Amino acid sequence: MEAARPPPTAGKFVVVGGGIAGVTCAEQISKILEEFDVEEQSSTMLEKRFPNIKVIESGVKQLKSEEHCIVTEDGNQHVYKKLCLCAGAKPKLICEGNPYVLGIRDTDSAQEFQKQLTKAKRIMIIGNGGIALELVYEIKGCEVIWAIKDKAIGNTFFDAGAAEFLTSKLIAEKPEAKIAQKRTRYTTEGRKKEARSKSKADNVGSALGPDWHEGLNLKGTKEFSHKIHLETMCEVKKIYLQDEFRILKKKSFTFPRDPKSVTTDTEMWPVYVELTNEKIYGCDFIVSATGVTPNVEPFLHGNSFDLGEDGGLKVDDHMHTSLPDVYAAGDICTASWQLSPVWQQMRLWTQARQMGWYAAKCMAAASLGDSIDMDFSFELFAHVTKFFNYKVVLLGKYNAQGLGSDHELMLRCTKGQEYVKVVMQNGRMMGAVLIGETDLEETFENLILNQMNLSSYGEDLLDPNIDIEDYFD
Amino acid sequence: MKTTIRSDVLSLIEKTDSKHLLKIKKGLVPNMNVEGHVYVNDNLRSLIYEEINAYKVNKSSTFLPAVVQIANVSTLPGIVKASIALPDVHAGYGFAIGNVAAFDMNDEKAVVSPGGVGFDINCGVRLLRTNLFYSDIKTKQEELAQLMFNNIPVGVGSQGVIICNQEYLDDALCSGMDWCVKEGYSWVEDKANCEDNGRSLYADSNCVSIRAKKRGITQMGTLGAGNHYAEIQIVDEIYDKKSAKLMGIEKKNQVCVMIHSGSRGLGHQIATDALIDMEKSMKKYKINVIDKQLACTPIHSKEGQNYLKAMGAACNFAWINRSSMTFLARQAFSKCFNQSPDELDMHVIYDVSHNIAKIEEHMINGKLKKLLVHRKGSTRAFPPFHPLIPLDYQYSGQPILIGGTMGTYSYVLTGTEKAMDLSIGSTCHGAGRALSRNKSRNTLNYVDVMNKLKENNISIRVASPKLIMEEAPESYKNVSDVVQTCHDVGISNKCFRLKPVAVIKG
Repeated sequence: MEAARPPPTAGKFVVVGGGIAGVTCAEQISKILEEFDVEEQSSTMLEKRFPNIKVIESGVKQLKSEEHCIVTEDGNQHVYKKLCLCAGAKPKLICEGNPYVLGIRDTDSAQEFQKQLTKAKRIMIIGNGGIALELVYEIKGCEVIWAIKDKAIGNTFFDAGAAEFLTSKLIAEKPEAKIAQKRTRYTTEGRKKEARSKSKADNVGSALGPDWHEGLNLKGTKEFSHKIHLETMCEVKKIYLQDEFRILKKKSFTFPRDPKSVTTDTEMWPVYVELTNEKIYGCDFIVSATGVTPNVEPFLHGNSFDLGEDGGLKVDDHMHTSLPDVYAAGDICTASWQLSPVWQQMRLWTQARQMGWYAAKCMAAASLGDSIDMDFSFELFAHVTKFFNYKVVLLGKYNAQGLGSDHELMLRCTKGQEYVKVVMQNGRMMGAVLIGETDLEETFENLILNQMNLSSYGEDLLDPNIDIEDYFD
Repeated sequence: MKTTIRSDVLSLIEKTDSKHLLKIKKGLVPNMNVEGHVYVNDNLRSLIYEEINAYKVNKSSTFLPAVVQIANVSTLPGIVKASIALPDVHAGYGFAIGNVAAFDMNDEKAVVSPGGVGFDINCGVRLLRTNLFYSDIKTKQEELAQLMFNNIPVGVGSQGVIICNQEYLDDALCSGMDWCVKEGYSWVEDKANCEDNGRSLYADSNCVSIRAKKRGITQMGTLGAGNHYAEIQIVDEIYDKKSAKLMGIEKKNQVCVMIHSGSRGLGHQIATDALIDMEKSMKKYKINVIDKQLACTPIHSKEGQNYLKAMGAACNFAWINRSSMTFLARQAFSKCFNQSPDELDMHVIYDVSHNIAKIEEHMINGKLKKLLVHRKGSTRAFPPFHPLIPLDYQYSGQPILIGGTMGTYSYVLTGTEKAMDLSIGSTCHGAGRALSRNKSRNTLNYVDVMNKLKENNISIRVASPKLIMEEAPESYKNVSDVVQTCHDVGISNKCFRLKPVAVIKG
């Protein structure tokens, strides 16, 4: 039943998406440009803080780029002067429509996961991304079988050396005190479920930020701390439900206690996973953490966007897509400008925020006729996170991305304490991986940005006897 | 275990009557214009002897030992009195950290050298007081720390809170704390309790490169990481009640906030730019330096003046950063305790620089001279009644803020006349070098890791693993030793000691 159509609202700037990129973008635009009509709608904190922002909770049905107009599912049309698409990305599920396969991407699905976990004895995690890495360590009291298609864990974040360094943490049985990680906390505002309009898409809600598992008690039914078994270089071949499995008379393995002995599992599980390495395991449910794909579909019909190889909307150095007055920021876009030699795009919260910020500045500048320089946050890739209870800092081309074989590495590793890997090219620091409390991140950030010639130091650069952070201070 | 000096260098190191002064005679390296004066304690003396013994004998690391760097600095044109080193001296880029070197402004050959200031120009410390005591904050500690974290951007890649474009930045770079007062970040009285009133009159934003400005725009008001931090501290011990009272410190357990930060990427870029610029220009001024890292040009040369003006801008930037964090700290406390920062008496006790070059007047051999004083990893220590220190501190002498290694004790000292005599009005800045490492290293620690990396056929160089410090930070007494030595020498007096309660860092 359709309500009578209200006249189309002609907002100057329209931002699609309520995740970190979208919210940051909207905030920044409203800070820079203040000549807005004040609307009397206050259903969210954002609107309370910025009276010139109107929040519309409704999915986008169609983008009519030539008419500069967005059509939402509630039947309204919104004409824009400038549009920013911050619709993010959705998780690649290994199998759509299977109730035992969960993706974790927003607070709702995270809470669902926690709920399912409380009844679980064993789960399987498929995938090697950030979510998988964090989950594997956080889950207590539940057996975890972790299947990755790569040789080593966390290969988007680390090299094999760092993976080796971290792996020992997985085997440890006793629980550790969590390291304090103090910085600004990001939370999502709880939505009033009753007021929420029906949306066609299943995935509503912004992507989880860095604190997504704080306040979630990720505990299964058992009493032990960690119990993880890793299967490398394999993918999912087939998933069977219990009935199917029984009929086919297949056999699965028990949780491997040691690599030599494998026994057949007599216990029945709700779901079974057959891996490409011929092994079959039963479990209570499966977590699909195999990465994301940009959410471009709702906007493609009738519009000829240039798309990147990864499926995202290509944007130039002003976050502008190939269509006039349409910008994009965050997971939905693909950075297609001449990239800085020490920066690469990764679908991380921090980048989404930076892009949202910068897109806002570009949109405002364009509408005011001003010129604007590329934001310095795209000069050097920097990401700080926590994996396996270690602080992890990634700088620049931390995995020598794109450097081919024309580089060398410097390494300092103290088992259980710290891992320092530096990527050097022609005597200049191009990237670094720092695990543990190294206190080196600011020094290295400066050395990479200064591009100082460090060849005379050789590996003495990492000499633990020298306070290198003081030396270059 | 007493270390003895190698016989061939014995004549070059003079133990003086003062058990704290070690003189490095001309001749340790060629062409020294003055001697090196190193203020030491027993521990440092042994380390220096070890360094001298190893020098030119062992396979040299690219890192020159501090004692050699001190001697190298004395070869620079125009240096007066001595190349002075404080008890926290350790190796740095070009100049050692903890090295003071003054150059005669009236000598046309006298030079300015960016290595004598450091990369983090105007890295320094600011101390705020409050009228709160530990009992007031005990239950709110976590909340307070989190508020500080929410407010103050920390860590690499962090973005500043001050929205900035280039025009804005240029104004800020030229005006320093005057800009902060204008923008409402600082109280007018904050300026008086800052060296140079928080504004370098030398600053000229036109001498700052575009790249430096780009780095500055994003990082305005950020704390950084590594050895930069903010701490909520409590007064642990008061040594000089009278002077402490002048600073508004009356009782133990009084709560203070210490901010340790500098000019971030802007300063780094300015230093890098200047080093490259001067390396290229040295030839035309017929300057030969014994170490490339001591790149310099005459003070009055175009390059020299460009650097001083850019350095001034970086100093202003650092003061703005510390002021911005002062503002944010005041907000955090105010929110937590529901009182205005004014009601909480959150005044700036003082703000010191420990990576800077200043034009000052000093008596050298009975004559008043105008000098360009390079202080890298050392703090100015002006005595009572000096015209350049605030009215409030005329009786105590300049407050000197010593931040220990994050998590350890911090100290507040006062300046003395003796500092003017002995060390060109300077004292230490913090903890010295890492503790000695006589433990053996387990090289098998990283073999597995290395093997995994080797699979890619990329060349890998490996440094030995860092030693795990088993002692707790409290026992890491380095900063206390350093401060005590300066006190014993007489170049600064202990006033009070602070202990951290919460640390905010990247």
